[in-house]
Formats: sequence, structure tokens, C-alpha cells
Amino acid sequence: MFLSKKMYFGVVLVAGLLLAACAGAPVGPSGGLNVVATTGIVADVVAQVGGEHIHVTVLIPAGADPHAFEPAPQDAAALAGADLVFANGFGLEETLQALLDAQGNKVVYVSDGVEPLAADDHHHHGEEHHDDHDHEGEDHHDDHEHEGEDHHDDHEHEGGEDHHDDHDGPDPHAWMNPQNVKVWVANITAALSAADPANAADYQANAAAYEAELDALDHWAAEELGPIPADQRILVSDHGTLAYFAQRYGFEVVGALVPGVSTLSEPSAGELAALESLIREHGLRAIFVGETANPALAQRVAADTGIELVLLYTEALSEPGGPAANYLEMMRYNVNAIVEALQ
Amino acid sequence: MLEWLLEPLAFDFMQRGLLAAALVGVVCAVVGCYIVLRGMAFLGDALAHAILPGVALGYLASGGQRGAMFWWALAAAVASSLGIGALSRDGRLKQDTAIGIVFAGMFALGVALISTARSYAVDLSHFLFGNILGLTTQDLWLTFGVGLAVLLTVFVFYKEFLVLAFDPMLAATLRLPARFLETLLSLLTAVAIVVSLQTVGVALVVAMLVTPAATAMLLTRSLPRMMLLAALIAAASGALGLYISFYFNVASGAAIVLTCTAVFALVWLWRQARRPVKG
Repeated sequence: MFLSKKMYFGVVLVAGLLLAACAGAPVGPSGGLNVVATTGIVADVVAQVGGEHIHVTVLIPAGADPHAFEPAPQDAAALAGADLVFANGFGLEETLQALLDAQGNKVVYVSDGVEPLAADDHHHHGEEHHDDHDHEGEDHHDDHEHEGEDHHDDHEHEGGEDHHDDHDGPDPHAWMNPQNVKVWVANITAALSAADPANAADYQANAAAYEAELDALDHWAAEELGPIPADQRILVSDHGTLAYFAQRYGFEVVGALVPGVSTLSEPSAGELAALESLIREHGLRAIFVGETANPALAQRVAADTGIELVLLYTEALSEPGGPAANYLEMMRYNVNAIVEALQ
Repeated sequence: MLEWLLEPLAFDFMQRGLLAAALVGVVCAVVGCYIVLRGMAFLGDALAHAILPGVALGYLASGGQRGAMFWWALAAAVASSLGIGALSRDGRLKQDTAIGIVFAGMFALGVALISTARSYAVDLSHFLFGNILGLTTQDLWLTFGVGLAVLLTVFVFYKEFLVLAFDPMLAATLRLPARFLETLLSLLTAVAIVVSLQTVGVALVVAMLVTPAATAMLLTRSLPRMMLLAALIAAASGALGLYISFYFNVASGAAIVLTCTAVFALVWLWRQARRPVKG
């Protein structure tokens, strides 16, 4: 039973090496690029561009919360073994950031080049968004006690280009606007073409085809969401996931269950009360909650204010075969759910 | 002033939260008096952490139903307290050693279980830090029922616990079933902890057990008065903490615990000031 210290270290070392060897082994078809994506949504878009030339591994499994994901040794091994790593950036992969930083310059942040919305814009306000809809200014009247304690009125959009360790940085949920995903496609195409010039023409063709689908999705969404009456174009979500969506399609995000753009925070009693007041004041019909959020609090708010709780897919895809198995399906599902709740 | 008090009550979640904070405060404070007197604070903290695998298993088994998780958490706490008792029984291991082994092992098991079910990690974090704003009416009834059972047990065994706490020698002379009583006390502690999980969470629950009871101990030497005072302090701190969370945007569990701590600090300073200066 008693292992000597040396033997003990030997056993640990061998076990560790075996584990690393298993996890790090390329699983894809030989020859193609071995690519790791952090979230299922990024992986889906990467796969659309890469086609049969790449093999994509997803780090954060379907249904999991990207803000809270805890990497395991296998994940580190997968990152180390990858030819390219695609991450959302803008601070989404909070818990993965150190590991991503360790991968050097093979990490591509697909949201680079997207015009960022500042993270603290959409806690209670929608007014920074460029489009003027007719409730402009309405939300200035609600003087709840907590209002304004952390709004430094920095209306600039260039505020946080560096997405590494900046907590007041950009809102990461850029994919909720299909036009931003076209930026992703451009970044992904450039990275894949540089890493694998032989297949660059294929990547560009795939990208062009997918961009057409994104435009079609964007067009369809605008048409579907158009008839929603002006006084109902107001969204409350679980945390700040809908700002890009709201900006694109003319909605206003007046509040969120959890303050900020990360799920890793808790509302205080005062913030929850302010939210319920907002819901009553605006006569809202529904609160939109992401699939990765804690449902208990949302259920209480919905029940107490007598409004509907609508499930959206905002941060992770559903399991294959589910209602949001890829990005395009996810957005269609969300648009349909919002239209159904608000029309 | 009246408006300041009434405004939060317009919200259903505040009504539920205030009731829960008061209920939990009373239950924890009463059990906490024995814990403070017997020096069992470490056991309290350990049991709170040892609940984690129960919560994780409950989540996996029930698909996230809060009621089911409550019973799983209770089972884990009871198993841990019995395990600690069994390990330290023959005297080869001291009780705090046994506590260290069981608590760290159980907590690690909980973390491991949660990491296998990654998508649930966020929801389980609410058990670490409490979720008093998300309570349902059923949660409240469950808290009330279990809390009442704890208080009744304390009432029935009041004298035995008293002797055990103040005078273990006398307890031995009287041939009280010390082992049974100690086990019962740690079971009560476990139940009190599980009840307070949703209000302040695993990480802070030891404060609910210890701080109000310690404050009361500074003010009186009689156990019944200490229990009454501790219960009052705890219930009032719970309510005040929630008001502070309402008006100053502080996380609710932390606000409640900080209020308890502030009350303790005030009482302690007042005692220090009154104490005659020794030459």
C-alpha cells in the first residue's frame, strides 16, 4: 500500500501523460484543419465556412452557460492540440480567458471588428441605440432609488476595444444581430484561408453562400417583427443578451433580471423591485429568458407580475434535433417566440 | 419612515423574503445558542459545505425541482453529521479532525458532481450564495414546517441540552445519553442549515448560526433569555438586511449577514466601553 514518493510521482506522471495523449489526439479526419470553437454558436458558423476541410470541436457543451464554464484538463488539451481556436471575444469567455491567452496567436476572436455596444448600456436604458423610436426618453422618468449609481454617461461606443480583462467592456452577445455574424464570417474566412491557403477558394465560396443565408434571415426577421405594435417593442431579459437584437430590429431593452451582461451576478432586492415596477409601468406582456439562466427567479417575477415567461436560445444552441440546433434555427426560433408573445 | 417600511411590502417577493429571513433567523439563532455554548461553530460551517453533493445529486435526480433538492441536501447533511460522529467516536481522531475530513471530502464530491453536469452549474451557484428573492410560497411552507420541528425538538430536549452545554461533568454524573444528545444536536444543526440554504446560502450560513447567538451571549447569562434575544436579533437583522438590500442594492444574503455582524459589533463595543478599566 505504501508507495515511495518517487513511485508516487511516477504513477501520477504516467497517468497525466496518458490522459493528455488521449485528450490531445486529433479526432478529425486526417489532413484537415483541427479547429476548436468555444461556444456552439461560434462552432456552427465556423463549420459553415470550413465545410469538409476542417474538424470542429466545441468546448462549451450545448445548454451550458458560456459565462460560467469551468474548463477541465481535457479542454486545455483540446486547445493545445488545435490548429486554430475560435472564440467569441468581447469578454464572453470569462472563465476561459486565461487559458485562451495561453494559446498565443492561434486564437481568433470572431467578434473583432463588430461595432460593440457598451456593456452597461442596456441595464435600464435603450437610448444609446441610434434609432429613435417613440418611447425615446420615457425611461428617464422612472427615478428609482438605485438609478444612476453606475451610469457614468459614457455614450461612446469605442469604449472597450480590448476585450480581455475589462469588466466595463463591450456587451459580448454580438451574434444576436445577423449582420454582426457576417463580420464573424469574414474573420473566420480570413483565418481559415491563412492557415490553409490550398482551400481558400472553398472557404470563400462557403462564406458567400452563408452570408446570403444570413441576409435572408435578417430580412425575414425584420419582416416578422415589423407588425409588433410600437408600445410593445420593449424587452426584458434574464441578463443583457438582447441589446444587439434590439438595436437591429427597433426594440428597447428596458431591464434585465440579472444586472449586467454576465450571468455571474445576482440582483439585489432593490433591483428586482425596480424591474417589477418597470414591467407594470410599461404594461409588458412577457419576460424573455435564456436557456442557460436560472429559471427560479424569472418564474417568480413572471408569476408576481402576471406576465408570460418566454424561453429564448441566446447563449447556447439546443441539442442536435432541438428547436435551435444551429445559429439560423436559433434566431428563427427566437424571432417566432418574440412575435408570438408580443403581437 | 412609514413609507420607507411599506414600499418594499408592495412586492410579493419582498413579503416572502422577509418572512423567510425571520423564520430562518429564529430557527438558526435558537440552535445557534447551543452551538456557541458548546464551541461547535466549525461543525456548523462544515455541515453547510458538506451539503453540496446532496444538492448536486438532488438536481441531477429531480431535474431541478427545489423541493426535491431540499430533501437531498438534508440527507447529505444528516449523513455528514452521522459520519463525523462515527469517525470521532472511539477517540482516536479528534472531532475537528473528523469534521475536516468529512467536510472537505463531501465538498469536493459536490464540486465534482457539478462539473459533470456543466449546464447546471449556474443554478447550483444559487445554493452557494442563497436565493431569497426567488422563493416560492411552497418553499416558505417547507421552511416553516421544518423550522417548527426543530424548535419543538429543542423545546422537548431543552434541559438535557442545557446540562450538556454548561456542565458536561454533570451530564456524565446524571448518566444522560450524551452520545445520543450530541448526535441529535448535530442533526438539528444540519436541519437548520438546510433551512437557511435558500436565504443566505452555504457560504454564509454559519453566520446565521453563530453571530446572533454570540451577540445574545454578550448580553445575558441565562439560556432562555439568550435564546429569545438571539431569535429577536436574528429575525430583526434578517428583515433589516433585506430592506438594506432593497434600498442600497446589495446582494440579499450578504446584506443579512452584514447586518448581524454590525449588531454584534455594536453590542461588543458597548460591552467594552462599559467594562471597568483594569489597572
